[in-house]
Amino acid sequence: MLKYLLKRVLVMIPTLIVISALVFIIIQLPPGDYLESHIAELESQGESIDPQKIEFLRHEYGLDKPLWEQYLVWISGFVQGDLGYSFEYNLPVAEVIGDKMWLTIIVSFFTILVTWLIAFPIGMYSATHPYSWSDYSLTLVGFLGLATPNFLLALVMLYLANRYFGTSIGGLMDPEFMDQDWSWAKVKSVLEHLWIPVLVIGTSGTAGMIRRLRANLMDELRKPYVVTGRAKGLGETRLLIKYPLRLSMNFFIADIGSLLPSIISGAEVVAVVLSLPTTGPILLAALQSQDMYLAGSFLMFLAALTVVGVLISDILLAMLDPRIRLQGGVQR
Amino acid sequence: MFRKFCTPLLLIASCMASPVFAQQQPIPYFAEQVSSGALPPMAERLPESPAKPSFFDKETGQYGGKIRMLMAKAKDIRLMVAFGYSRLVGYDDQLQLKADILRKVEIEEGRIFTLHLRPGMRWSDGTPFTSEDFRFYWEDIATNETLSPFGPSKDLLSQKEKPLFEVIDKYRVKYSWSTPNPYFLPALAGPRPLFIYMPAHYMKQFHADYQTPEKLTQLTEDAHKRNWRGLFVSKGRQYKLTNPDLPSLQPWVNTTRPPAERFIFKRNPYFHRVDPNGQQLPYIDEVEINLASAGLIPAKAGSGEVDLQARYLRLDNYTFLKEGEENGNYQVNLWETGRGAQIALYPNMNAKDPQWRTLMQDVRFRRALSMAVNRNEINQVVYFGLAKDMANTVLPSCPLFKTEYATAWSDFNTDAANRLLDEIGLTKRDSRGIRLLPDGNPMEILVQTAGESTEETDVLSLVEDSWKRIGVQMYVKPTQREVLRNRVFSGEAIMSAWYGLPNGVPVASMSPAQMAPTRQDQYQWPQWGRYYETGKGKPSKMPEVQELVTLNNDWSMASSVEEQARIWNRMLEIHADQVFSIGLVSGVLQPMVVNENLMNVPENAFYNWDPGAYFGIHNMAGFFYKDPE
Repeated sequence: MLKYLLKRVLVMIPTLIVISALVFIIIQLPPGDYLESHIAELESQGESIDPQKIEFLRHEYGLDKPLWEQYLVWISGFVQGDLGYSFEYNLPVAEVIGDKMWLTIIVSFFTILVTWLIAFPIGMYSATHPYSWSDYSLTLVGFLGLATPNFLLALVMLYLANRYFGTSIGGLMDPEFMDQDWSWAKVKSVLEHLWIPVLVIGTSGTAGMIRRLRANLMDELRKPYVVTGRAKGLGETRLLIKYPLRLSMNFFIADIGSLLPSIISGAEVVAVVLSLPTTGPILLAALQSQDMYLAGSFLMFLAALTVVGVLISDILLAMLDPRIRLQGGVQR
Repeated sequence: MFRKFCTPLLLIASCMASPVFAQQQPIPYFAEQVSSGALPPMAERLPESPAKPSFFDKETGQYGGKIRMLMAKAKDIRLMVAFGYSRLVGYDDQLQLKADILRKVEIEEGRIFTLHLRPGMRWSDGTPFTSEDFRFYWEDIATNETLSPFGPSKDLLSQKEKPLFEVIDKYRVKYSWSTPNPYFLPALAGPRPLFIYMPAHYMKQFHADYQTPEKLTQLTEDAHKRNWRGLFVSKGRQYKLTNPDLPSLQPWVNTTRPPAERFIFKRNPYFHRVDPNGQQLPYIDEVEINLASAGLIPAKAGSGEVDLQARYLRLDNYTFLKEGEENGNYQVNLWETGRGAQIALYPNMNAKDPQWRTLMQDVRFRRALSMAVNRNEINQVVYFGLAKDMANTVLPSCPLFKTEYATAWSDFNTDAANRLLDEIGLTKRDSRGIRLLPDGNPMEILVQTAGESTEETDVLSLVEDSWKRIGVQMYVKPTQREVLRNRVFSGEAIMSAWYGLPNGVPVASMSPAQMAPTRQDQYQWPQWGRYYETGKGKPSKMPEVQELVTLNNDWSMASSVEEQARIWNRMLEIHADQVFSIGLVSGVLQPMVVNENLMNVPENAFYNWDPGAYFGIHNMAGFFYKDPE
């Protein structure tokens, strides 16, 4: 097991290097650079900027250097914990992302919680009462959540919340709390705003989870050991939770790999629509304006979380289900 | 009847009640600081002779309150420099240049400018504002090799010549060139002004000539900068407002350090303007800028979450905003916009394809395309009939406006347009009725747009319909701003859609550079503009374009306003006749949400970047609340 772990960790290094190169290339793929998109934006508002100054800035930011050199500068800083410099904000990347992280984690945490709270009972119920009227109607609810465009649902809910509860539109708290320290009033304001994104993002994830849980659980429920258990007089609930549910959780554990990065990145589109002060909109804006170090560092961070997440889920899977082997290779 | 009789009486009464010698009312916001001695009383905070902007048509107000605004990006806070519009010299709402921060400017022969500062005027931190701040800028920044490797800003040059800068005394500085420089004062009055001064007392600590190397290295490291130049630039952004410690001369000073979601601007205790009663401005204590995604701003404005908002609102939000007026305690004003055209088509005369290039340079072709646009239909369908159907030229509210400019080749007349195209020799058509180019390909024009709003695509699809009637097939291709620019520059885009003249309300003393090929980002002649800007490439051989270049040069040498007006009119005439750009619709109104208690905000005015600085020339420091909480 220890040897396996060591090997996995070592493999992560070249993986991350390849990812970093890809990330950097993809960000650079659109024509132009940050300064060009900056000029274009100023122009669209009627402002203009001296071409000489642009040349100067390009040199100052190192944008006139070849791509590989820019990459090396960035990646060597990354190793030392320096995430680079955001052109858009004129600040180090770490400072830009800094305080947004907490709010993002709060939103994601509650979203995941809500997804589970909705999906698990429904999935279990559907699997134990398959093809019944109640199975179909509950699953329908899940599909509705999946099918409704998130941004539309978000807008409708914003409107309703503003109309009937007087909640300020968008954001995660009333404006006056934005620069205040945490207080009970601030927490209340956050809670008042939080339910919209949580519900919107949450509903879209439930359908998939319901279906997978239902399918896996139904497979297990037909297996002989369940029949044996029942014949030996185990109660239905205990029987369900102790064996089949545990075994049908494989998919769930395997999901952790993608769960970790999603805690940080959240649902970008909903965050943009709802104007949440989370990290999603920053990433999107950075990609649009080709603020390459900000976007790149962010994507690298997500990539690292994915790699770590996959490792964790592999370990958990091995612990949960001994049938899963650590070593690959053909065995006769 | 009673009203009629009463009003003049009231006016007289109010005049009598406001003698200039009245005791100044202290500002409640500073009451505590003044009584504790942290801040001197108002009379000592003001310069000896404060600036007195015109209050014609306006009321004097009272102190207090906060203006809430929304912006989509943190960097939008720079607009507070435009809104505050504290300038050495600035335009008033009649577009006349007036001294503002300066006491006066003496001009000799249009080339020697003596700037007189206001004795006793102070920076927002209380340090006197003197000629040292100008000297520091000129000697230690603009001509410093490390900080300005390319020399001083272009706006400070006249015919590529640097000015001779002299400090006369503590309150007088002089800039002189050997030839007239009509660009100097407008550059100081711009919405993004040319800053020729800097808070020397504060900035010296970041300058290698004034700071010990050890301390400077320390400061550079603390700010995570690569060198002291980076440190200096980042600390001294007078336009971007990212450093809350930087002393300022604006009515409100940023107090929030980015990154943030909410920026608070607090009143500058040393602001130099007063109202007619001698009360220090601004009236409003704070301006609060919250960030929200651009798409949500109309919705938030409609629910009463702002006190003053125009940016990110569009005419198609009007009905929605109007609906929320009562619940949101605001009113929606419609201001005129100041661009020559809301949307204009730019035939790229520097197109790469020789066949298209020849066509685009043919005036008959441009006229035909312009005449085949049904402007009235566009106005009625997309803009509720509230816009103006005219060519891309100056707007009717501009003193240089003539009806001929607006109507030239802009009446919807497909017969005449068809005749012109036949005359060029484009007589063959394919089975769809689309004309064929000389090489036999159908005449399909791909119009590239920045793809930022559905408004553009709506308008263009109407043009597409009417162009079919003259046998021209149009396709619209929305891209991204940067991509569009690059395609236009390279000549790959044969036609693009963009807004019209940046300044639709110029007066004769403003530079006509926007009418001549002077910049690369003029989409009808990017290569000729580039030639003017950088000297690379080739100039135009078209006589009309050459005349524009000559006229633009003549303007800078013109000795009188009459002469300047003559040049402007000739340039406008050439543009109207030559249809270098095809204006589709103009004078689209800008909705503006204003808190119902916020006074002195004009109901009808124009909303424009340059000149105008949006709210800037309407003296936002004079806005006040009827009953501030």
